Amino acid sequence: MRIRPIERRDIDELQALAWQTGVGFTSLPDNRDFLAAKIEHAVSAFEERSAIDDRLYFFVLEDDINGELAGCCAIEAQVGREVPFYNYRLGTLAHSSVQLDLHRTIDTLFLSSDHTGDAEVCSLYLRPEYRRDRNGALLSKARWLFIAEFRDRFPDKVLAEMRGRFDENGTSAFWECLGSHFFPMNFNEADRLTGLGQKSFIGELMPKFPIYTPFLSEEARACIGAVHEHTRPALEMLKKEGLRWEGYIDIFDGGPTVEAYIDDVRAVRDSASYPVEIVDEAASVERPTWLVATSNISEFRAAWIGRGPSADGVLTLSVDEARRLDVGAGDRLRLLET
Amino acid sequence: MNPQPRDIAMLVVRPVQPRDLPALERLAGSATPRLTNLPAHRDRLEERIARSTRALAREVDFPDDEAYTFVLEDLELGEVVGTASIRAQAGAMDAYYTYRQETLIHASQQLNVRREVQTLSLSHETSETTLLCALSLDARYKGTSAESLLRRARLMFIAQYPERFASILAVAFPGYLDAHGESPFWNSVGRHFFARGFQEINLLAGVRSKSFIAEVMPQFPLYLPLLTPQARAAIGREHPDHEGALEEMLGEGFVRSRHVDIFDGGPVVRGERDRLQSVRQASWHPVRLRPGNVLPDAEPALIANQQLGGFRCLVARYALSPTGQLMLTPEHAELLGVEEGRAVLAAPLALPTVLDEFDEGET
Repeated sequence: MRIRPIERRDIDELQALAWQTGVGFTSLPDNRDFLAAKIEHAVSAFEERSAIDDRLYFFVLEDDINGELAGCCAIEAQVGREVPFYNYRLGTLAHSSVQLDLHRTIDTLFLSSDHTGDAEVCSLYLRPEYRRDRNGALLSKARWLFIAEFRDRFPDKVLAEMRGRFDENGTSAFWECLGSHFFPMNFNEADRLTGLGQKSFIGELMPKFPIYTPFLSEEARACIGAVHEHTRPALEMLKKEGLRWEGYIDIFDGGPTVEAYIDDVRAVRDSASYPVEIVDEAASVERPTWLVATSNISEFRAAWIGRGPSADGVLTLSVDEARRLDVGAGDRLRLLET
Repeated sequence: MNPQPRDIAMLVVRPVQPRDLPALERLAGSATPRLTNLPAHRDRLEERIARSTRALAREVDFPDDEAYTFVLEDLELGEVVGTASIRAQAGAMDAYYTYRQETLIHASQQLNVRREVQTLSLSHETSETTLLCALSLDARYKGTSAESLLRRARLMFIAQYPERFASILAVAFPGYLDAHGESPFWNSVGRHFFARGFQEINLLAGVRSKSFIAEVMPQFPLYLPLLTPQARAAIGREHPDHEGALEEMLGEGFVRSRHVDIFDGGPVVRGERDRLQSVRQASWHPVRLRPGNVLPDAEPALIANQQLGGFRCLVARYALSPTGQLMLTPEHAELLGVEEGRAVLAAPLALPTVLDEFDEGET
């Protein structure tokens, strides 16, 4: 299995993936024109033809045995540049009066575009039949190696939006209590439009003044910063890298936006570059913990390898591993031990 | 209202006196619902009397922090049976807070939708108006013309001393309370921020000051869709006991404004002083004394003397001589403190009935 940049020829398989993801996966709508445009956007980014603040690095996870796409993930270089990026920030307002013997703090949602210009890791999807052999971790962590390797293409901060809480009927209490009053559509429709990048309606229809959370139902308040149960493992993985919830939530479903300074992300901080040597036979452990990525942006590859660096700081690859990564002896790889 | 001037022949409105304190206490305690600006609190009521006396003694060129308090006295019983006040400026010493109902248009060209979203925004706009407030009347007189006398005698006072008042007058009516005395508006709005019941906060506001509590109210506008349906229904809705009073003030020429009370959502009506019926229709007449049994039949009228500190207002027949003199019984002339030949101000008690409509104009 390997990570590589998406290519134009991937359109059919990408659309199949998009169909599989279903509702709630905002960034991958099942719309061929949209997906084709997304691929073009990514191709120009990897070829470094577009401005660095307008790049979408979209990766696929490829099964190098049969050539199938097993999943995808992406990095948006800077959010909020083309269309506004909105969040609610959960803030605290003190309502206090000595004479009234009153001191209360009121949780309040402030509409914010504070994350404008931050990078976003997004669009992670892994087909169910590939949810094994640390493929999920490969998809998630390869992005950190990419960012570390091409650090000057990215801003100071990175964020990830996590899917919010829905009940067994797929209903978001947060949406029902708040968004539904302002958007003349159901959650899925709002989500679909957002996925298509048609976000201007959000700014136009969204309440601009802060929302005092005591006005929301108990169920809606419980959604603030809560994730969908299926999203919990992904959230845990990001938390281990050092991403934290700082009180920002999705304006539709209340799911948390987690964030970090890129230089503080564990995988970015701890990864390092090593020279490669290739041997016919290399011993492999059963469950590899060494993730490597190449240093050529347009031919970017990432994969697990079966062993760590030698005492003298050299990475030994098997012929298969080298082929998977398209590297030769003397090339350098960025390594993350997980 | 069914005016019966004969029944109230011995009723007169006059400025409050220090000796009226026990009566004020009683009236403050019996007001339904309890009025924020008339707390049954002895020290506050004493201050109220002193403030009114000071205001009447002061030379005033423009409205400031004066507050005038009047009482309705039944001379037959020798009892003070009502009280009402005027604040020259609603928010002279501090801001007068209201919620202003606003409509925001949320439109999306992309989706071809246009939505009106209602909000309530804290406002100080009413601060500069003259406020008619703190009216409480003994239950025995409710529904009689004594009620109109007490309420509108203040307009007869204002008509004579326009320099003391703002050109816009406002009245805040007590808001809707349910059968248990609970305010659905408060329960959906203020309670979140104060964790106190409406009656308790109302009492506190009266004894301390309302603005002092308002300063702790949420400063950002509230979106109506997030309020309970009960709270939304209470916005601009008067307390059932005050329906008649509101109707009368609408007849005077007050109109509902976009403003409502921040605690209970009760309506605030506003009127241009010089366009109110009692002010516009008031005219001066020299007094001619006539015994009661020879007075011609006539419509009832509010009749006021022209003495600032010795202000008196009562209801009597609007009986004019062919030469425009107002014919008064010697008893009424004595109550008004006027002799034959002195001028009094008179305005018809009857008002046109108007449809209760929300003001569509800007306020």
